[in-house]
Amino acid sequence: MRKRRKSGRRPLTGTLVFMAFIIVLCFLVNPPGVKKAATTESASIAASVAAGTNDDAQADTDGAAAQAPAATTGTSFQLADIPPYAGAPYVAVNNNVPYFSDSNLTEVSFEQYGDLDPLGRCTAAYACIGQDLMPTEKRGDISSVRPTGWHNVKYNGIDGKYLYNRCHLIGYQLTAENANEKNLITGTRYMNVEGMEPFENMTADYIKESGNHVLYRVTPIFEGNNLVASGVLMEGRSVEDGGAGVLFCVYCYNVQSGITIDYATGDSSESADAGNSAQVRTNQAAPTATQAAATANQTEAAYIGNSHTHTFHRPDCSSVARMSDKNKVTFSSREEAVSAGYDPCEICNP
Amino acid sequence: MRVIVAVDDRGGVLFNHRRQSTDRVVRRRIEELTEGHALWMTRYTASQFITLPEQARISERPLRDAGPEDYCFVEGEPLLPHRDDIEEIVRILWNRKYPGDVFLDLRPEECGMVLQNTEDFAGYSHEKITMEIWKRKEG
Repeated sequence: MRKRRKSGRRPLTGTLVFMAFIIVLCFLVNPPGVKKAATTESASIAASVAAGTNDDAQADTDGAAAQAPAATTGTSFQLADIPPYAGAPYVAVNNNVPYFSDSNLTEVSFEQYGDLDPLGRCTAAYACIGQDLMPTEKRGDISSVRPTGWHNVKYNGIDGKYLYNRCHLIGYQLTAENANEKNLITGTRYMNVEGMEPFENMTADYIKESGNHVLYRVTPIFEGNNLVASGVLMEGRSVEDGGAGVLFCVYCYNVQSGITIDYATGDSSESADAGNSAQVRTNQAAPTATQAAATANQTEAAYIGNSHTHTFHRPDCSSVARMSDKNKVTFSSREEAVSAGYDPCEICNP
Repeated sequence: MRVIVAVDDRGGVLFNHRRQSTDRVVRRRIEELTEGHALWMTRYTASQFITLPEQARISERPLRDAGPEDYCFVEGEPLLPHRDDIEEIVRILWNRKYPGDVFLDLRPEECGMVLQNTEDFAGYSHEKITMEIWKRKEG
């Protein structure tokens, strides 16, 4: 059941900046009074890490794409800058540029999983992923791990019924980690499948195709002493091509449609107005000027509903283009739309 | 003209100005499919070919420049403005879910096209890739 052993060691500078990154995130997310370990010296290192290099932003292409809406820009991640969940499973952070610095970049594979904090919660998982770290056999059993806030709870309307998954911070398909308690958090099915997995897929397929490395870091974001993360910060940058192949920095929301979660404990309940929880049903981001950007606003909204007609559509349905913005609501799944009382469009047959 | 596009499970094409994915087997298939015809693409698309095929033509507006019998390998350029000129769409499905912020804006099912052929094959870095050929209904 063991994967091929990994080659390569983390460079010392990488270790230092990794530790510093964890410290600065703890400092930014935890309110005063929460145990912190940041010293003046480490905070200084952290600041330089968080400042990172934004040169990557222009490792750009001739693609005609618009950028996903950015939640926060600047020199460090702050949860307060993340907009409330609005129907998309993730939002771009820092213009999709990771907070890595040039000194983090290496073409040698490594992986590091941060120690659990005093509350038993995961910290950051960080790796330079190459083909040598990727699995050569099927995933093993991970049920022995009980991440903080874990509850075995089922609801109708959730794919697989279970609200929570043991979410790998760095997915199995990338570094072949099985029951590593430093790499598993309590995450909703939605965050796991709709938020994190697409980035893992993109990264894995890029590495397989190119043989290159991707610097990759996933940091769970806990508010105060909560046992369940509010979300995760995911960062990735392809190394050998300077980010031309893979470059992202996103925040994935740890939410589930129709379910209210007590993040302090992991307790949950069906929302009073099922499918209309404040966490999961808000208006979409304001439309932007270009056609491409307009498409970007529909990122990850699996279906678009018309609150006037109570009909839901595929995002590329011709009816959506004609729909008034004020009538648009987004759904992450067909089930969500149906449970909210919407009927499928007869043109696009969603 | 004939258009070639590659999309994920949600019809996505690009994320953060970058293609969602690529596969050398797909490129080889495209070369074979377009042999004997001009194959238009942008410089960005051309950058995924290690050696450009003989039939490649580079343009920053390939959909404008392609002739009626030509192919365009498109990565993110809007198709809708050229809807009336497109006779065929070759849609390549990664059969994977990727992040996306630019999506295919013209689904062949919705513009009077008929599926003529579909084929599954293994890629180099993808387990199963599907190539669909959609053609405009005659008459």
